[in-house]
Parts: sequence; C-alpha cells; structure tokens
Amino acid sequence: MSLANRMALASPQIKAVCIEANEFPRLSNQFRVRGVPHTVINRRAAVVGALPERDFVAAVLEGAGVAVDEPHEAPSGPTTDVSG
Amino acid sequence: MIPEEVRQQLKDRFEVALTGPVHLTLYTKPGSSRLILPAGMGCPTCEDAREMAELLRDAAPEKVTLEQVDITRDDERAMTDDVNDVPTIAIASNSETGRIRFQGLPSGTEFPALIDAVERVSRAEPGLSDQSLAALARLTEPTEVMVFATPT
Repeated sequence: MSLANRMALASPQIKAVCIEANEFPRLSNQFRVRGVPHTVINRRAAVVGALPERDFVAAVLEGAGVAVDEPHEAPSGPTTDVSG
Repeated sequence: MIPEEVRQQLKDRFEVALTGPVHLTLYTKPGSSRLILPAGMGCPTCEDAREMAELLRDAAPEKVTLEQVDITRDDERAMTDDVNDVPTIAIASNSETGRIRFQGLPSGTEFPALIDAVERVSRAEPGLSDQSLAALARLTEPTEVMVFATPT
C-alpha cells in the first residue's frame, strides 16, 4: 500500500485508496478480490500481488491508458481487465 | 483502548519524523457501536477509526490537525470529496481533500502504512526513484488506485 500512497504524494493526478477488504465485501466481490494486495486502477485494470516500484508504476500508467514506452520486466502478478 | 506506551512511542517518533503540517479528515456515520446491522447501515468500525485518528493527532497536535465529517449530515461534502464508504481517513498537507485514503479500519499490517503516509506527507517525501517520478509526470488525467488489503 505504501507505494500507491507515495505515488499519490508525487502526482496530483493520483488518488490512492487502501481498502480493508474484509470490511467491504461487496466492493471486494465487485472487483473479484481473491488475494491481497489486489490493486485496481481506474476501476478497469487489476494487478494481483506486490510488485517492485518500477513495475507498479508501469502497471498504474498502463491502467490509466498512458503508453509505457520504456521496457520493463513483466509484472510478477497478472494484470487483468476487470471492466464490464 | 490504546495503551499509554503506544501513545508515547508515537509521540517520540512523530517528534523526529514530522516536519510540516498534516491534515486528517475522518469521514464517519453515527449510530454504530459493534451491533451487527444490515449492509449499508451503521458503521461498526467508525468509533475505532475515530480513536485511531485522534491518536495520530494527539501524538503531534502542533503539526497534525483532524477534521471529522459525518457523511449522513453533510452529504454534499461527501459527494464533493467522493467518499461513499466509512470509515475513511484522508491525509493531506493542508485542508485540501486528501488523495491518500484509508477506507475501513487501518489496523494490523495497515497501521504502519498509515503512519508512513502521515510521515511522508509531513515531509513531502514520496521516496520514489527519479525514473518513477518522471514516469508519473506523464499522467494528465485523474487516476484512482485502489489497493485491497487485509489486517493480517
């Protein structure tokens, strides 16, 4: 969670919300949370598991629709589409 | 109840770690206690969240301010700040709407993340690499990052 907070501190565009999954089961079900940490970007894309900083930043940019032109290693957790 | 020892530890830590102001906004609903209520009614953890937010404020009252918003009385504010669920603690360096938020009671492993967020906001210190900062500067649209976590 700390990484998302730090990104919100660095960018005025980012809002980071740490959600206690057990306390909000409806929200957890809506975004198909099966394990934690489970990150959802703009309610569209999801990343499961903890990622290194570079991969997490890339995943957030990708989820926000910003082209990531610098090569980065594949995230250790799967990125999935949770829209629709 | 938060032990006095913990309060003192936090005071000692904040005395060193906090340099600038931090504004906390706690969004709650009344009528909670620990009764089991139908979904959407009451707020079983709001009282604990209030105690936690007050713990942070009381550890450094000269730097940390706390505002409490009852979303059932001030639904306009809740809508403006885009807060739908409670308890929510928002953290900012001033009275702006905090973009670092904890929804639900940040206990267990989430409590250190809450402390870290307060300290980083106070020092305006994201602690990210230059590469990450340059990448994030390319974001031009509001972006929401929700992180689901559990206390254990």
